[in-house]
Amino acid sequence: MGVSVSANEVADAPQEARERTILGLTGEGWARILAPLAIGIIALGLWEWAVRVNEIPPYILPGPIEVGRTLIRDWHTLQVSLWITLQITFAALFVAAALGLALAVLFAQSRVIELSLFPYAVILQVTPIVAIAPLIIIWVDDIRIALLICAWIVAFFPILSNTTLGLNSADHNLQDLFRLYRASRWQVLMRLRLPTAMPYFLGGLKISGGLALIGAIVAEFVAGTGGRASGLAYRILEAGYNLQIPRMFAALVLVSATGIAIFLAMTLVSHLALRHWHESAMKERK
Amino acid sequence: MPAKGTVSSSRAPASGFSVVLPSGLDLGGVPVLGACRVEVPGGRVTALLGPSGSGKSTLLRLVAGLLRMQGAVVAEDGAPLAGRIAWMAQQDLLVPWRDALGNVTLGAHLRGEKPDEARARALLDQVGLSAPDARKTPAQLSGGMRQRVALARTLMEDRPVVLMDEPFSAVDAPTRHRLQELAARLLAGRTVLLVTHDPLEALRLADRILVLTGSPAVPVEVPVPEGAPPRPARDAALLDAQAALLERLAEAA
Repeated sequence: MGVSVSANEVADAPQEARERTILGLTGEGWARILAPLAIGIIALGLWEWAVRVNEIPPYILPGPIEVGRTLIRDWHTLQVSLWITLQITFAALFVAAALGLALAVLFAQSRVIELSLFPYAVILQVTPIVAIAPLIIIWVDDIRIALLICAWIVAFFPILSNTTLGLNSADHNLQDLFRLYRASRWQVLMRLRLPTAMPYFLGGLKISGGLALIGAIVAEFVAGTGGRASGLAYRILEAGYNLQIPRMFAALVLVSATGIAIFLAMTLVSHLALRHWHESAMKERK
Repeated sequence: MPAKGTVSSSRAPASGFSVVLPSGLDLGGVPVLGACRVEVPGGRVTALLGPSGSGKSTLLRLVAGLLRMQGAVVAEDGAPLAGRIAWMAQQDLLVPWRDALGNVTLGAHLRGEKPDEARARALLDQVGLSAPDARKTPAQLSGGMRQRVALARTLMEDRPVVLMDEPFSAVDAPTRHRLQELAARLLAGRTVLLVTHDPLEALRLADRILVLTGSPAVPVEVPVPEGAPPRPARDAALLDAQAALLERLAEAA
């Protein structure tokens, strides 16, 4: 005996709306790309126009064309610095993700551990990195490691706090069901709590990606004043000292572009991991 | 050999059990159930009715061993009930990252056994989920479809004691009618405790009907029509009994 699906439930099934597409994107898709792009171009045009009309010298405010030219001319130097900053950022993000996840799992094992350690994670989070960066740079001989620690301190907390929340968010009824199925503590962790925490962890990663970059830049600034670093922040400082303002702007553009690229990469990772089951990543049902 | 398209089930001898609450049941200081003794006979379907908030689900959770109360539930054969229970809760409780098929085979997956996929597919087919739907995740299914996956999972577990909490509440009336017949057939010979607020459902499926009455509630047995379940819905005696039961429930509320 089979039970046929009743008519109203068939109507409930998601129906892929066939919208007209231009080069693989719908009208709304193009608007989402073109509208911000148009605003950007208009703003850059106004900037260039204001610089030219008022004859502002490039050491006060260079126009976007001058910045672009400097970016190409100094690419060789800037690219070396960009690479150093990227290495520190991603190393810090990786360590923050691994340690944050591990510590969150530890917290999930016992309320006592969580209560006794979490305040220290908060202290780590609220201490201004600018204030402790000089100390870390003095204490740690290897400047790379010192920068990594600074970036890690900034990036660590969102991952820890989000993942802890995620691990504690597993549906209690579902935990009961797992208990009735005689799942072990380990199975409940691996098969229920960690998958539940996944969207939270990815959300934390999205925040921490940007923070790791900021942490790396701030630490480089502090280290740069002592002449001990060579990342993008150091280039900004150096260009400032030498009044090479276009170069300063070029380095700044690279920092922003890197931040945007990291955010987009984390968004993509999150989307790919969640698109089949989590509400946040699924297409809206019509 | 079972006929094509049907799912057979091993007939383990189903023990009855009784719930003994000499001083009732409190949850967080609030009395939920009064002092009572509920006998659930082995191999039969016992339906538990009552108004919302009368403690039906609490009683079910108590039997499932989710309330950590020692000695309140005693099996007739003396062995503990743990490990012999399939539980279908009021919420569908599907794991969101596993597809419908993966949810039906969840028990086997957790026990580290190789899941009987053919049986799982046949069960999904019987509750009316097509093969493409079996590959969808819960978020891609409608509420009624999710409930049917939960029903298939409960039947898949093939346990002698089955606890069901409003198993057909989210499906439309004709589908509910067919699912009731399917459940009655697949659950024959098991000890079933069925929580429902649908008098017709109780009268069609149950060998015994208990109505939770009063505050704190105690179960009171009401008569059921002649004949073995599933009883035909058009039977005059059954419809009479439905009207009587409805009035009784209205009084209990």
